[in-house]
Amino acid sequence: MFEQEDDIVERMIRQLRRPVAIDPGLDARVMREIADDAQPQAPGRRPLLRAWPWLAAAAVLGAVVIGAVVIARPWVRGSDNPDAFQFVLVAPQASSVSLVGDFNDWDPARSPMQTAHGVWATVVPLAPGRYRYAFLVNGIEWRADPGAPAAGDDEFGTPSSVVTVGGEGS
Amino acid sequence: MLAALLIAAQIAAQDPRLERLDPETRSLVVTVVDSARAVGLPGEPLIQRALEGATKGAPGTRIVAAVRRLATDLGTARTALGTHASAPELEAGVAALRAGASPQLLTQLRDVRRPPLTMALSVLADLVASGVPTDSAAAAVLALAPKARDADLVEFRRAVERDIALGAPPGAAAAVRALNTGVRSEVSGPGQQPGRPPSRP
Repeated sequence: MFEQEDDIVERMIRQLRRPVAIDPGLDARVMREIADDAQPQAPGRRPLLRAWPWLAAAAVLGAVVIGAVVIARPWVRGSDNPDAFQFVLVAPQASSVSLVGDFNDWDPARSPMQTAHGVWATVVPLAPGRYRYAFLVNGIEWRADPGAPAAGDDEFGTPSSVVTVGGEGS
Repeated sequence: MLAALLIAAQIAAQDPRLERLDPETRSLVVTVVDSARAVGLPGEPLIQRALEGATKGAPGTRIVAAVRRLATDLGTARTALGTHASAPELEAGVAALRAGASPQLLTQLRDVRRPPLTMALSVLADLVASGVPTDSAAAAVLALAPKARDADLVEFRRAVERDIALGAPPGAAAAVRALNTGVRSEVSGPGQQPGRPPSRP
């Protein structure tokens, strides 16, 4: 379910870790600026204000990067909601999709999924355990999660998937 | 009179979620759930399996058969994992058993890994569902179990699934990834001890 998003995040991390080429003349320019700043300021000169556009740009860039990571991996167990997991199904033609499983008594009304351009998603809090689940599309069609392990025993003739939430581990 | 009172008491004690089942199926499912609870098995997985069948429109006979089979397998899993096994561990144990793992393997896993065993058992079942031969999956999980964290096991499963999706033979993918996770060779031999701690993602 999350492998594709993992790849996106890994690519972003690789991109962010890529060494940045620095202009060889940067040192000279910086030292010149420092030397200039050491001189008495001319009336009306405000070096701090000159830095504001760069600071603002850096802040926006940082927010975008952090936001992208958070949006790409919302299912990661974090400090805000440690048991929240996101389920996603791409179904552009669907008019409704519900998530049903062991965590909501297999009740389609409990976890209706929201769509954005055919990508259906919902977030469910899960305690440690192993859960069977499936997607109910348009109220009639059962679909397994293509990105999750399949439940091996489909005794009722329709596919299901499983998600396992770990505990303490060893 | 007494029988009517007993039936009324049973109906009153029933889980209201089971009202989605027809009366005959509900009665049989309740009997199985009560019997399971009487011997200390968890009833919730049985209820969920019945609700799954009801939501999927399965006939009552199939729902009852599935619930009975699950109750039997939960008992087998508990025998293998011990009376202290939690409900999630028993459910994961059932998945592993149904994937082809032997009860002896479950016992071995319990003996080499600190609880909870839920993730280790689930990864074993999931690998088999992905096409990894049961023996290979069992050997790899058993080799990783003593030291690997839950997160390591999940990453191991994902790596194997990625390799399979790229065309690798499932058994070979599991063996190679187990090696890369820090386990010595001979992953086809159950009981193999790890040579060094598994790598961390």
